Amino acid sequence: MGEPLDTWFKCEVIVHDEALTRYLRRHWPYPDDIYDLRQETYVRMYESARTHIPAASRPFLFKIAQRLMADRIRKRRIVAIDSMVDLETSRVAVDDLSPERETAAHQELRRLADALDRLPPKCREVVWMCRIDNMSRKEAAAHLGVSGKTIEKHLMKGMKRLIEAVFGDVGVSGRHSLEEAEKRATTVRVLSKDTDQEER
Amino acid sequence: MSMETSRETEQQALAWLTRQEIGPWSESDQSGLDEWLRADTAHRVTYLRLEAGWERTGRLKTFSVGAAPGVVPRPGEWRRSPFFEHRTVSAAPSAVRRSAVKVAALAAGILLATGTASYLTGIFSGKVYETALGVVTSIPLSDGSSVVLNTGSKLRVSLSKKERRIELEAGEAFFDVAKDPSRPFVVQAGERTIVAVGTRFSVRKDGADIKVILTEGRVRVGPGANGGAAELLVPGVTVRTRNQVLVVQKSSLQEAEQALSWRSGYLTFDKTSLADAVAEFNRYSPQRIVIDDPRLAALRISGKFRSTYAADFVQVLQKGFGVQVERVDENIHLTSN
Repeated sequence: MGEPLDTWFKCEVIVHDEALTRYLRRHWPYPDDIYDLRQETYVRMYESARTHIPAASRPFLFKIAQRLMADRIRKRRIVAIDSMVDLETSRVAVDDLSPERETAAHQELRRLADALDRLPPKCREVVWMCRIDNMSRKEAAAHLGVSGKTIEKHLMKGMKRLIEAVFGDVGVSGRHSLEEAEKRATTVRVLSKDTDQEER
Repeated sequence: MSMETSRETEQQALAWLTRQEIGPWSESDQSGLDEWLRADTAHRVTYLRLEAGWERTGRLKTFSVGAAPGVVPRPGEWRRSPFFEHRTVSAAPSAVRRSAVKVAALAAGILLATGTASYLTGIFSGKVYETALGVVTSIPLSDGSSVVLNTGSKLRVSLSKKERRIELEAGEAFFDVAKDPSRPFVVQAGERTIVAVGTRFSVRKDGADIKVILTEGRVRVGPGANGGAAELLVPGVTVRTRNQVLVVQKSSLQEAEQALSWRSGYLTFDKTSLADAVAEFNRYSPQRIVIDDPRLAALRISGKFRSTYAADFVQVLQKGFGVQVERVDENIHLTSN
């Protein structure tokens, strides 16, 4: 821990998480891939920053995401035309580059509070005690009369949901089947004819 | 390329964060985590993303104000919280000082640890953050803003409903200010105030002099004690005071970003005099680099160096410029051939 690059990454890259996820969802028709794409975008960003820290992280991040999608399109051969067009223009939509903060502070707090309230009752109690009242595993376990393992399980679940709320990510993945994604895409075409290899 | 799916990696990262949060957390746990992070960049980026998110959930502590520990309010009860009514949310002040060695999630937990009744009356003593030499740390503030604090710096934060006030007592800090027109973000550095609404900028205090670099938005630098004009800054303009006189300097955004590379642990020099470069390095370590030959001081240096690796820098001087290096006690003395 304590890598200077890690601090930079959290301050200069992760702040764009919400915008990046939105960007990927808008341009990539397969919701199941979004998290993989996002992770890979971050990996490439981090690896690249090891040798050179980009002056402006946001456009660079979107550029990486765009290139990744273009790569996948080439490999996959079949993709929706509408997402293709955007990628081919090789421009990132203007609103994606807006320097404005994604969410006003009070909105984030509201989202957090709502997410907290939507947790199952036991899970919510555990999150409150550990995150808000700063109880240790032992203290929370004693307070609720359950095992430390149970506390850990609940907190992990609550943590995941709250972090999703912070990043404004409701998690679409899994809800849509591939077929639905194909239907969502307006047109499907074969992009490369020089290979017979079928994917999917 | 990771063999796991992003989802699997995320579960593992969540498990690490959870155990870090509630313990027990031993040295072997820490080295286990370090090893896991090193094993795959996908692990690291996933962990950092979740850690940053988890730090931001610390703002929920706002709701514990006035509540007894261990008493969990019913869902929706917090809506009656006075802080919610006013849309803006203030920090729960805590007396915790940060040695800032750990930027881990743990630390974020401590940061906003103690909500007190003074919060309700709007009286703030302010939270104090301090960094040791060579440490750069990020601090999320409860209003959604964040601060990156450079080496050997000290900052006092008081957030109220009317104003967000930061006092830079020493050193340098970069501010990423969350937009909130109803609550100006005021940085006090010596006798100068820098006022922002939503923007990104840094302030550095060197004795009585200050330097402000802006990368986004607009800030206003107030007049000094003996009057003078206020200066409105736009991105790319650097304002500094020399002997309390305001100097406005035009620079490209690229130059501004370079001057802020300390946030990622680097010092960037562009035809910088050796005297200035050495002064920069000396901010990061108790070990001093001393220029014994005045002819050397004017040497121009360009390049990017890790701020805490003065030894690397000295080696470059030795090999590239033929500078003689001598170690006396803890310090490094430079002379020319």
